[in-house]
Amino acid sequence: MAARAQAVAPYRPDWRQGRVMSWITTVDHKRIGILYMVTSLVFFAGAGILALLMRAQLATPNEHFITENAYNELFTIHGTAMIFLFIVPFWAGMANFLVPLMIGARDMAFPRLNAFSYWCFLFGGLVLFLSFFASGGASKSGWYGYPPLSEKFFSPGNGQDLWILSLHLVAISSLVGAINFLATIQNMRAPGMSWMRIPLFVWAIEIYSALLLIVLPVIGVGLTFLLLDRQVGTHFFLPDQGGNAVLYQHLFWFFGHPEVYVIILPAMGVISEVLPVFSRKPIFGYKAIAFSTVAIGFYSMLVWAHHMFSVGLPTFLNVFFMLSSMVIAVPTGVKIFNWLATTWRGNLIFDTAMLWALGFIAVFTMGGLSGIFLAAFPVDWQVTDTYYVVAHMHYVLFGGAVFGTFAGIFYWWPKFFGRLLDERLGKVQFWLVFLGFNLTFFPQHMLGLLGMPRRNYTYSEHGLWLAYNLASTIGSAVMTLGMLVFVVNVVRTARAGRRAPNDPWLADTLEWYTSSPPPPHNFDQLPYISSARPLRDLRRRLEESRA
Amino acid sequence: MPPPVRRKLLVLVLGLGAALAVAASAYAENGGFTPATPHSPNAERIDQAYLWIGYFALAILVVVETALVWFVFKYRRRGRPRTVEGPQIHGATKLELIWTAVPILILAAVATFIFYKLPGIEDVPKASAQGGPLTIRVDAHQFYWQFTYPNGAVSIDELRAPVNRVVKIDIHSEDVDHSWWIPELHGKFDAIPGRVNHTWFKADQVGTYRGKCGEYCGVFHAQMTARAHIVSAGDYEAWISSEARAQLGRTEWQGVCAKCHGPSGEGGYGPAIANNSLLVSAEGLRTLLIEGQNRTKPLAAYMPPVGRGWTDAQFDALFEYLKQNVYKGAASGG
Repeated sequence: MAARAQAVAPYRPDWRQGRVMSWITTVDHKRIGILYMVTSLVFFAGAGILALLMRAQLATPNEHFITENAYNELFTIHGTAMIFLFIVPFWAGMANFLVPLMIGARDMAFPRLNAFSYWCFLFGGLVLFLSFFASGGASKSGWYGYPPLSEKFFSPGNGQDLWILSLHLVAISSLVGAINFLATIQNMRAPGMSWMRIPLFVWAIEIYSALLLIVLPVIGVGLTFLLLDRQVGTHFFLPDQGGNAVLYQHLFWFFGHPEVYVIILPAMGVISEVLPVFSRKPIFGYKAIAFSTVAIGFYSMLVWAHHMFSVGLPTFLNVFFMLSSMVIAVPTGVKIFNWLATTWRGNLIFDTAMLWALGFIAVFTMGGLSGIFLAAFPVDWQVTDTYYVVAHMHYVLFGGAVFGTFAGIFYWWPKFFGRLLDERLGKVQFWLVFLGFNLTFFPQHMLGLLGMPRRNYTYSEHGLWLAYNLASTIGSAVMTLGMLVFVVNVVRTARAGRRAPNDPWLADTLEWYTSSPPPPHNFDQLPYISSARPLRDLRRRLEESRA
Repeated sequence: MPPPVRRKLLVLVLGLGAALAVAASAYAENGGFTPATPHSPNAERIDQAYLWIGYFALAILVVVETALVWFVFKYRRRGRPRTVEGPQIHGATKLELIWTAVPILILAAVATFIFYKLPGIEDVPKASAQGGPLTIRVDAHQFYWQFTYPNGAVSIDELRAPVNRVVKIDIHSEDVDHSWWIPELHGKFDAIPGRVNHTWFKADQVGTYRGKCGEYCGVFHAQMTARAHIVSAGDYEAWISSEARAQLGRTEWQGVCAKCHGPSGEGGYGPAIANNSLLVSAEGLRTLLIEGQNRTKPLAAYMPPVGRGWTDAQFDALFEYLKQNVYKGAASGG
């Protein structure tokens, strides 16, 4: 290792060394990771603003704050951007930075491909947001774009075509990224780092990548067929010309449901890293958590038609997809119980990262349980496509993925940038978002059961409908306040944040072995990895040699 | 965050939640904590399934959240230095088996209950007493519901059905995906072009039950509402044999045209049409209603093919109504 570190740095001409050009031409996994995370957080803010406009429109009955067409654009782009432009690429960014460091590698397996991946994502995202300016406005057919509504006749204009283009670009980006992660994790682990010694976050990224690799081509097919229908005059999804509208739903959800786990598994990986460090204990049931990740990944590909219970599939299919959807709750429960057991008898330190992790368990449990109602297909017939689903899905994706995101951000920020985020502001942000989140999304369960369908730009009922909607809108404002506190925190930390040592949290995994931020070559030398907690092993050896 | 603050906030959250729950249940009979009060045996059974799952889900929620809060409180730092470690326990196979097996048992209980209730939810009962079930055809269109009764009578957005009789619903779509849903009577079933879906109900009480389109279908999805009027058998017979025909022209105008073009054709989301001579040109109007309109030049115009699948009687009723009540004569100079 020492010999390799002395290798001559690759030649880099002057024009590539400027402040801007060095970022544009970079192939360093850490810089690409930061580009990914910053870009996806900007898209997160954009998509969040769209959501706030929707909540403003829904605050009271018969509101005319925005038009029906504008509202339909908002929820389409909000959903698409949150899934494709925020959370999936955010994990790509975080994994880009962390996976090579966690497994003791010099970089990703294919650094140039890695840069290609990022730029594809950036331009895909720009296409989506700029499609608001297309003739006829942005796509208005929902984030899932079901035909026939998304076909040329029912959705004239170019918004829908740009939506397809954007998703194609982002899908290529994710596909290339997934291959890169798999190649890196399979081949570039440090000496001694066997599969049972890699961090659980790396396990999550392994499965995240495998899922993307399997399911992205399927949505690619669906989107290409739709594009051909719109532009070339084929009729894959046009029933009156012999096509089949339900085929698209199968193609979409065969991708769409694993996508949910692509989103949530890395968040679970973050929680599995943060909880033991701030509980001062090893993770409880490493193998159970790792294998449940694999099991969730596998079963996630067998549950897609639970999004289609009201389509009128044969009963035996509905039964199959009900049972498979229930099965997936078991490995998910295993994770939650293992996390609880990790905190048991620990020395719990409530730093901000830990608060997010605990908050994750609290709200994700809620989201998982409301999912059982949706898996039971006769019950689903009552609640599907109502605000109940909106509530469920945000408890899982916001309460799960976004809480996981912030747990990761507060935990690894010192490694990313060499400074610690302000803890006080971090806690203020956590409590504002935690309360705002529950106030926004809990009443939506009730709205759904009262009969409020999703994707309605307004409603005329008063009474409870008004009360719950208003509460939800107020909650969204509280959450926004929390997010603004985060922005303040980032700015203050960049200016005057506390400098971080290599290992500020006394953590377990290899990324804390190198400096904060790490040098371009990551490690001068590596210890031999003899357990899943190399840093703790080193600390103990150091203490023993002192004693 | 120091634990006392966390506790206070917890109390606050629980208190707010409880207050909201009490206020809500005082306000309406279920406050949105269970599906709408069922008025048909299949909706009733779905309600029972919901409650059955609800008991387990609530129990698990309470166990997990209590354990979480309890551990957070009990094992908090209390000023110990960061270097103090908890016991280095790496796992326990017996526990893993328990918390794998118990959820499996709970889910088996849930699935068993669903299987037990399923025939009563899905299968249309054999109603031999009244000469078999009454079949009503539902056609979903952008942005209205059309109901066709066994004798050929048609109504728009307002379904009429007799009380205490099994009514079978055949669900069709003429354009994009919609979803037929009256919460008090049954769950959602999608209207998808090229497919026919079925559901049924047997309403136990005279009254009006409201429904909304359950699958996003375009710009006026929110306006695509339905009302199911459950009436006595005598009233139903009287209505389909005479009143339905008399009302058809007016309800077509209100349900099909006026949502976009305004209550008297003065324009709204769609253009003003009260002075458009196409209204009194039977052939031209018929073509427009069947084919719809979709162009981006010179102006963006989209009109759904609202008249797809209509009978001559339907067109005639609309023309008659337009001629007498909507058309205001060609605009001067127009």
